[in-house]
Amino acid sequence: MNIRQRRRLLFAAALSSAVLLAASACSTSAGSASSSANASDSLVVGMSLPLSGAVADVAKAGYQGYQQWAADVNASGGLLGKQVSLDVLDDGFDENAVVANYNKLISQDKVPLLLGTFSSLLNAPASAVAERQNMLYVEPSGGNSDLFTRGFTKLFLAQPATTDALPDRFVQYITALPASERPMTAAYVTQDDPSAAPAVDIFRQKFEALGIRTVYNQTYSPTTATFDPIASAVAQSAPQMIIQGAVTDDGVQFVRSLEKLNYNPKFFFQTQAPADPAFPAAVGGSNSDGIFTAVGWSPNAKYAGNADFVTGYTQKFGEAPSEDAANSYTAGQVLEAAVKAVGSLDQTALANWLHANTVQTIVGPLKWDATGVPDGTLLLGQLQGNVLQITLPEEAATTTTVISPKPAWQQ
Amino acid sequence: MAALIQTLVFGLLIGGVYALMSTGLTLVFGVMKIVNMAQGAFLILSAYLTYSLWTYAGIDPLIGAFIVAPVMGLLGVILYKGIIERAQRIDAGLAIVATFALALILEAVTALIWGPEPATTTPDYFNQAVHIGSIAIPKAQLYACIFAVVITAGLAFIIKRTWLGHAITAASENPEGARLIGVEPARVGTWIFAISIATTAFGGAALSFLYQFVPDSQDGWIGLTLSVVILGGLGSIPGVVAGGLVLGVAEALTSNYVSVQWSTAVPFILILVVLTVRPQGLFALHSREDVSS
Repeated sequence: MNIRQRRRLLFAAALSSAVLLAASACSTSAGSASSSANASDSLVVGMSLPLSGAVADVAKAGYQGYQQWAADVNASGGLLGKQVSLDVLDDGFDENAVVANYNKLISQDKVPLLLGTFSSLLNAPASAVAERQNMLYVEPSGGNSDLFTRGFTKLFLAQPATTDALPDRFVQYITALPASERPMTAAYVTQDDPSAAPAVDIFRQKFEALGIRTVYNQTYSPTTATFDPIASAVAQSAPQMIIQGAVTDDGVQFVRSLEKLNYNPKFFFQTQAPADPAFPAAVGGSNSDGIFTAVGWSPNAKYAGNADFVTGYTQKFGEAPSEDAANSYTAGQVLEAAVKAVGSLDQTALANWLHANTVQTIVGPLKWDATGVPDGTLLLGQLQGNVLQITLPEEAATTTTVISPKPAWQQ
Repeated sequence: MAALIQTLVFGLLIGGVYALMSTGLTLVFGVMKIVNMAQGAFLILSAYLTYSLWTYAGIDPLIGAFIVAPVMGLLGVILYKGIIERAQRIDAGLAIVATFALALILEAVTALIWGPEPATTTPDYFNQAVHIGSIAIPKAQLYACIFAVVITAGLAFIIKRTWLGHAITAASENPEGARLIGVEPARVGTWIFAISIATTAFGGAALSFLYQFVPDSQDGWIGLTLSVVILGGLGSIPGVVAGGLVLGVAEALTSNYVSVQWSTAVPFILILVVLTVRPQGLFALHSREDVSS
């Protein structure tokens, strides 16, 4: 290699490195909402979100929920006399990146307030950073109950309940059925996810205690793409009820595989996935009808501010809010209530106030125990006519109809 | 026995899909000695183009693939002439880095155009199956497999039976000798890259009705297609079929008879075994040392 070739090689290598570094930088620092992050007349709220990566679609709705909250707060005069601005970093759904981002927000950007990120996977390390730095950390998701066994005093979940309570309403529904209508057998299949897997295990324990025999029980990797063999094995075990710990597209893929096999369980419960607005279209026709899920929020719930949130969000973003958007908005409401009540940014005083008071939010009144676990319960939803209806509890129900047994798949 | 047959059917069908996704990757390596790290991104881009044709024009993905293929082929020409060829002239290793950069850029571009929400197509056959006794043969996988057979057979025919194929073989085995008989290796490279990227249209079409996908789904597909190509033998078209089928069947059997959790580890275990026992892959005629020399 002569000198000319060597120079060209070095130049090209440098160029390639620059492209890769630029791409990498894009994935770790969105900063898209931080235009006024350092303005002295604004109160900056910092957060890291997986705006790229595997759950970017969920995070987008979550980010918009935060934006809607900030807009509403600012429209009503802001916080402590200042307009709220958001300092948002992108972690690409990476645990190391989320730690780096919250350290940066606290130590470098010196944000006075934090809000949480998405998923138990990310909230677990992010909340540890906040606790270590003595910062209040209100998280919109991260309902794995293990997160609240670490003795943290400044961690709060802005949902009605943790995943330990996720099975409650569906178990209540099955238990209330006449014995002749209850399923005799059940299959449990779940993604190896810190929220979904423990919830499915609780389902299994409760249903086994009810006398429902387990005929299949498997956990699959988050990278599983092909569900036909799993669905085939489930079908061969012939369960009358299927419980799936579905987190993202695995919910759709599993339903599609069952459709191909034309296997129809009498009862079908999935975590999370059916609440995705894209779910009904992705499983085709009216095949989502009769599928149960647990949700923390309903657009039709009568809680104060909920209707305004739905209207404002829809006008602002041109689409109806998802549960993830609502969770972000709720986290903002919790933070807002504490700051307004305390009247300062003293993190310990804010946490103490939240431990001692109830906050009215769009998911209902929230109250926490000493570990930050809310004392509410989730809602039981069922897809009916491709719309998620609330069937339990009665006071929050949006319909009195429950589709049972689940209709056969349309093909 | 029915359960075993059903498992094998699923494994073979999904293996055919894997082969379809990997064909372009092995073709580029076989001739140009470039590991195209953007294969997954091209697959996802093709899937999105198919999705748009289906969503906005109602064109079935199987037909849409024939519209997307020339578009992808043209994109292949532009990217080859604009980036790959230049990088390759400097250093073959740099061309691989360039494809990696392309993958990142394509992912960002697809995210900008289509957003992060999961997309999929649902043509009539997406959830249908042909039932033979108690055995279900999903139509979607079956059609994807037919695509795989047609594409790989077509490529094998082009390589073995046409002037272009002979030119490709000559340019890959002896570039200087090829020039002496009037074959310009750079021009052949353009053709190969274009054909390779065009084939992702068919893989992308299959992906669009078999899976939900988002821009960063390319990460998973580049890993899987590389596994298939390494298993079958870098550069071997029959090898990519064998690699796909072995992988698909192994995944299905593991899922049903060992553990669901282990099924995603199967590609990597198989690669370790193949690299140990037969480093050149199942079908490649040359060892890696031959290839790199």
